[in-house]
Amino acid sequence: MAHIHGCARIILPEPLWKEIKEHCRRKLAGDFLPDESPVPRAYGILAGSRHGDELVIDRVLPVKKNARNREPLKSYMDQMLTRHAVPSTTPTANRGWITDPAELMECYNRCDREDLLIFGTYHMHVVAWKGDPRRDTPTRLDTLLAEKSNLFTFIISMVDISSPSIRAFFEGDPARETPLVITDRPRYPAPHHHP
Amino acid sequence: MAKIIIPFPLRSHTDNQRAVTVDGDTLAAAMDSLFNRHPGLQSINRQPGLLSIFINGRAVERHPEQWQKIAVTADDEITLIIPIAGG
Repeated sequence: MAHIHGCARIILPEPLWKEIKEHCRRKLAGDFLPDESPVPRAYGILAGSRHGDELVIDRVLPVKKNARNREPLKSYMDQMLTRHAVPSTTPTANRGWITDPAELMECYNRCDREDLLIFGTYHMHVVAWKGDPRRDTPTRLDTLLAEKSNLFTFIISMVDISSPSIRAFFEGDPARETPLVITDRPRYPAPHHHP
Repeated sequence: MAKIIIPFPLRSHTDNQRAVTVDGDTLAAAMDSLFNRHPGLQSINRQPGLLSIFINGRAVERHPEQWQKIAVTADDEITLIIPIAGG
């Protein structure tokens, strides 16, 4: 199995970028699925295949359940937010996302069945900060949460909902950004899809 | 003996093996066997309570002090899951 680190660029086919944007917009609009955590934040996993020095995203796997208010995960996230997050008027319990372990296991199993590499997770930033108008980079908390994860953190800027953007950072480290290319002309065949 | 499924992000510690066969007839012994063979995996316990363990798809007690009480057999498939988090 190939590694995901050490690649030159990440390729995101336009149809999958559209899926990510639609996921973010749906959550922001408060249009939740019946079995989905009713929070206006989008979180998901990107998986795909390696071709030489390129990683090609083949699947967008939105995750539905936020387990951040379930112990012992709640205590962990509360502590991380208290220590490292930028102060906010948003209540602590409404900040942060932790994947539901059972849902994540299903996601990992699916990727194994389809022979896909898991590249990392995506989430969106929606509020502009002074000195960071697009919010398209990881926060200090994002970096700490992704430390030693061996995964990319994909940050989607939804500050301007009509003009989203996405960037990729290995282990959420702002110093380890990998160029991400959105294209409507994929150079590699998509793998077989097992629903 | 049992089989432990290694989540994708941790496979760099197992030479990219998806599954590792371990010794022991309790979960505690199986985890010790895993850590002895792949010491790099001990990092999964660096944050107490974050590691979730499933045996044949069912969640089991996550606290290591309880693992001694959980029997495993050669037919069991143990899956380790460390949740992914974002701010």
